[in-house]
Amino acid sequence: MKLTAYHRPATLAEARRLLVTLGPTAMPLAGCTSHSFVKGDDARIGVDLARIGYDGIAHANGQFVIGANARIADLQEYHAPGWVLDRVALRFVSQPIRNMTTIGGNIARIFPWNDFPVALLALNATMTIAGETERKIPADQYFDGQPGRLFKEGDILIAIAVPEVGESCGFSYHKETLVHMDFSRLTVAVWLRREGKKVADVRIALGAAIPLPDRLEELEGALIGQVYSPDVVAGAMGAQLAKLRWRSTDVWSEEYAQQLARVHVADAIGEAYRAAGGDRK
Amino acid sequence: MKKNFNVVNKSVRKIDSLSLVSGKPMFVGDLKPADALHVKMLWSPHAHARIVSIDISEAEKMPGVHAVLYHGNVPRVLHTTAGQGFPEPSPYDSVMFDTKVRHVGDRVAAVAAETPEQAAAAVKAIKVVYEELPAVLSIDAALQPGAPVIHDEPDAHAAIPVPYEPERNLAARVAMDVGDLQAGLSASDVVLDREFYTDYAQHCPIEPHVAMAQIAPDGRIVITTSTQVPFHARRIVAQVLQVPVRRIRVIKPRIGGGFGAKQEVLLESVVAMFALRTGRPVYWKYTREEEFVSSRTRHPEKMRVRVGAGKDGKIKAIGLDCISNSGAYGAHALTVVCNSGSKILPLYRSDIIHFVGESVYTNLPVGGAYRGYGATQSTFAIDCAMDELAEMLGMDSLEFRRINTVRSGETSPVFRALGEGKAGVEQSVGSCELEKCMKLGAKEIGWKKRGRWQDKTGRFRRGIGMSALMQGSSIPEIDMGAVSLKINDDGSFNMLMGATDIGTGSDTVLAQIAAETLGCDLDKLIVYSSDTDMTPFDVGAYASSTTYLTGMAVKNTAEKVVKQLKDVAAAMMECQPKEISLANNKAHGPGGKSVSFSEIALRALYGTDQFQIGAISSAISHKSPSPFSAHFAEVEVDTLTGAVRVLRYVAAVDCGTAINPKLSEGQTEGGVLNGISYALTEEYRFSPKGRMLNPSFLHYKIMSMRDKPEIKTILVPSYEKTGPYGAKSVSEICINGPMPTIANAIYNAVGVRMRSSPFTPERIWRAMKEQGRA
Amino acid sequence: MNIEFTLNGKPRMLSISPNEKLTEALRRLGIFSVKTGCNEGACGSCVVSVNGRTVQSCMMYAAQVDGCSVETVESIGSLDHPHPIQNALVEEGAVQCGFCMGGLIMSAKAVFDKNPSPSDEELKIHLDGHLCRCTGYEKIQSALRKLAAGGKA
Repeated sequence: MKLTAYHRPATLAEARRLLVTLGPTAMPLAGCTSHSFVKGDDARIGVDLARIGYDGIAHANGQFVIGANARIADLQEYHAPGWVLDRVALRFVSQPIRNMTTIGGNIARIFPWNDFPVALLALNATMTIAGETERKIPADQYFDGQPGRLFKEGDILIAIAVPEVGESCGFSYHKETLVHMDFSRLTVAVWLRREGKKVADVRIALGAAIPLPDRLEELEGALIGQVYSPDVVAGAMGAQLAKLRWRSTDVWSEEYAQQLARVHVADAIGEAYRAAGGDRK
Repeated sequence: MKKNFNVVNKSVRKIDSLSLVSGKPMFVGDLKPADALHVKMLWSPHAHARIVSIDISEAEKMPGVHAVLYHGNVPRVLHTTAGQGFPEPSPYDSVMFDTKVRHVGDRVAAVAAETPEQAAAAVKAIKVVYEELPAVLSIDAALQPGAPVIHDEPDAHAAIPVPYEPERNLAARVAMDVGDLQAGLSASDVVLDREFYTDYAQHCPIEPHVAMAQIAPDGRIVITTSTQVPFHARRIVAQVLQVPVRRIRVIKPRIGGGFGAKQEVLLESVVAMFALRTGRPVYWKYTREEEFVSSRTRHPEKMRVRVGAGKDGKIKAIGLDCISNSGAYGAHALTVVCNSGSKILPLYRSDIIHFVGESVYTNLPVGGAYRGYGATQSTFAIDCAMDELAEMLGMDSLEFRRINTVRSGETSPVFRALGEGKAGVEQSVGSCELEKCMKLGAKEIGWKKRGRWQDKTGRFRRGIGMSALMQGSSIPEIDMGAVSLKINDDGSFNMLMGATDIGTGSDTVLAQIAAETLGCDLDKLIVYSSDTDMTPFDVGAYASSTTYLTGMAVKNTAEKVVKQLKDVAAAMMECQPKEISLANNKAHGPGGKSVSFSEIALRALYGTDQFQIGAISSAISHKSPSPFSAHFAEVEVDTLTGAVRVLRYVAAVDCGTAINPKLSEGQTEGGVLNGISYALTEEYRFSPKGRMLNPSFLHYKIMSMRDKPEIKTILVPSYEKTGPYGAKSVSEICINGPMPTIANAIYNAVGVRMRSSPFTPERIWRAMKEQGRA
Repeated sequence: MNIEFTLNGKPRMLSISPNEKLTEALRRLGIFSVKTGCNEGACGSCVVSVNGRTVQSCMMYAAQVDGCSVETVESIGSLDHPHPIQNALVEEGAVQCGFCMGGLIMSAKAVFDKNPSPSDEELKIHLDGHLCRCTGYEKIQSALRKLAAGGKA
């Protein structure tokens, strides 16, 4: 990709107009780190969305609304009760990249190894797309394929709403890499609500080891209403894992991917369960 | 034996470090003229193919293009790219451009254009018709009878009389036998026979290879290059371009790391040829991908170790058979595999020693010099074998190493048998504090508490491992370093030397040796290194030679200057030279009289009987004293995933007198972390057709500060009588330790012996599974 | 196209191509501390500070810094008056080839600017985008640790 021109709209409306006018030659960018994955020599016109606003994190009514232009470092540095994305941010690439990458850019196009979709699926986030009308799209729908299919020309992702991890709820996040700055081999995020020793509700999302980030709904179903124990999790997991399609790469085998999943999904569920009981470790 | 030093053995500031942290323009890329042409290379997409035809006519017409080079328009001069002494022990099997390509990433044709983009566009316009040939993609495949012959060109040859049989893909062979291995093993109570494999790795200097050439007003070619071997670069470029050596000047500015990769003359001849053809300055810098694929690598080696010992724990016989994968060309093929024998076998006392080293051509990336130089590979095999043998004997492996490793005053037949392309040099071990290294390192890591893997439980299990290491200091009776010194008005000295500081701090260390000898402060030395027009000769930065060998040259030169200083001072103070001592930038005479170096200089330069106080001198060595080291690591293995974490690492090193202790520690720590990632995370992955799949820092993983364990260096002083102020080398030995140390620690944690690198989590998990432990 | 930005405290105007990366633009302006080691955001040699945040200049278009303040290691100290971080690294023997230093120091400065006594963990996290092949990071870490203990950067 080669940028032949560059525009920097100041408002959302201006940005939308530009994207509509330029059509498919437009290349939206903000942090622009994901552009390194765009191969080829085709000429594109850069539309830099970084200065149209939507770059803060607001906390109200039991949820956090993250502007799509917020940097991963903003997520890393933000702290509030019920906020857990700082932990996800800390495992994201490296500090300069965390400083550049926007959360919106990170989830605009999905790669198998993407971190945030996994966390946002588990947390039941909602994406807001600005178009002719503003549309709110739940994570399950947003990540059910490439998000591009949900965007019409001129549409821009402007916000991500994430519910607080509240009372009796816990969150856990695991990312397996060879060194810290590495593409994930397996990412798992678990949000869990407890009632006493029972799993009242749970959302489990997996990424990297499977073709695209996804929820493990069968496993969730098998756990909801159960009294938690590692054995219950282990028993429920087998059937779910057997149904997944594993990504085999030149780095690891399918068999090993499954083993990693067995270990980390179980660990993450256990940690989320304990966190829901007040253990914040 | 002088032990109270003024400048030596002190952690003075590295003399270029403040400029380096200030971002001053000091590297090749910073010195590029604005009007330089840029080079792009067309690399082979095939592992093995004949070039049927090339059409460069379109490319030549592209905008901004000044020249295109390919086999049809450059002279065919057989040479080696290995920057070694002359005549080189590496085979002459390379030409600037050939009619055949031998690995994915081999050269096909090059373009010089006004901008990198124009050069890249022109490269795409070159039309090549290839005839693909069957490719040889492993050591085993290379040795199959009837295997495709990679160097079938009739003009490839060895420059010195050594075994070279390209018709069966054999790039080099070396062998030695003392006694009868089979008989020795038969007479042993315990015998071990194991195979090991070490894989590809790249040096990953953060500055990739970069070179530029300019035509000086007098028509000479000035090459500024990121090299470890400026003088060899001058000689090899002259050879390849068929111009006299006197027409070439090579300048080495600051270098962004080398580790052996830049002991290779790769870019220099291309930029020089373009500069000659176009008259323009020409600049070429490798991309990171090119650095992985088209630079040099660590030779993979397949090794077999046979070792026998008596019940008393004493080794009776050692056999080591190594086959290295030299890749498409034989750069350092002979000498690396030879060092696989010569830099580890003398460490263990044994009456019977067998060694065979062979190097084979394959259609894979080219091996080269890499810190450790063959010893890294074989130390893994030998040390892990020793660890296992100790266990079979029921001995503590530290004690086993202690009673079997060489001591001061002992010798080994290996020294005599294995030289570099010729017989070696007989020598006995001088300074050796290996036993103390083992003792101090063991204490630091808590060796006694390591326990047995059989007694360890739980998901995360810890283990402690160790290794014992040796290397050398310079290549005896082959390497030479030279230095010149002259005094200035203010009593400062210009020190000019060919020794090549590539970030190691050799300019500083050598200045410390000069200041110590001259009796002056360090800041009186103005150091200029590696410019073939300005500085005397030096073989360059390799073979752990600079501190030891060029250090002796510095001392020799400074001693000549000392004599001149004393003569002038004696005339000034009206006394005898032998009554004078030099210290604190002054000559001190009898009766409390003194004259400053500045006063001496002013008299010599302007006063009476004027002459230039100064000298030029050199040094060779008749032995290659080994530094010794014992490494220890504590690891934690996740038995469910196979992931290994190095928790602590301890390196106890006997490098003689550490001329600059902090820089010696820095050498050790850098080598150790490089070795840790070589053992655990670095991996070349190939497609079935021999293309590297991960030529990028995104996918070839080296460690960051966030990944490193705490590394503790313990410098264990000794005094090497043949070295400058007792110094030996330190730069290479440290990289040999992590792979065996971690393998032995993994065994101590979970009971699996990893004999093939890298120890990725999946491999460890599979090894445990095979033994029913996962 | 033209951009205007503040470079090391001074206003600069520069004519750029839209496709030009920030690394190249800065080097054209004589900022040689900004190095290219990988050109894919993995090595950190090109790190500079943009509006107080460290970024990989190889991963940004020069156009993106229009109106911004860019700071590089050239501006933070001099040979006579080095920045305490520069001094600490030199004193500890943490500088070998030095190729990575320009970027790494900017990241270290970003940490110390916020907190004069950062923990080991903070330092590791904020320097995780820098690859150094020479030092094993041990001396870099100990230099910064000592500076943190002294609390004056």
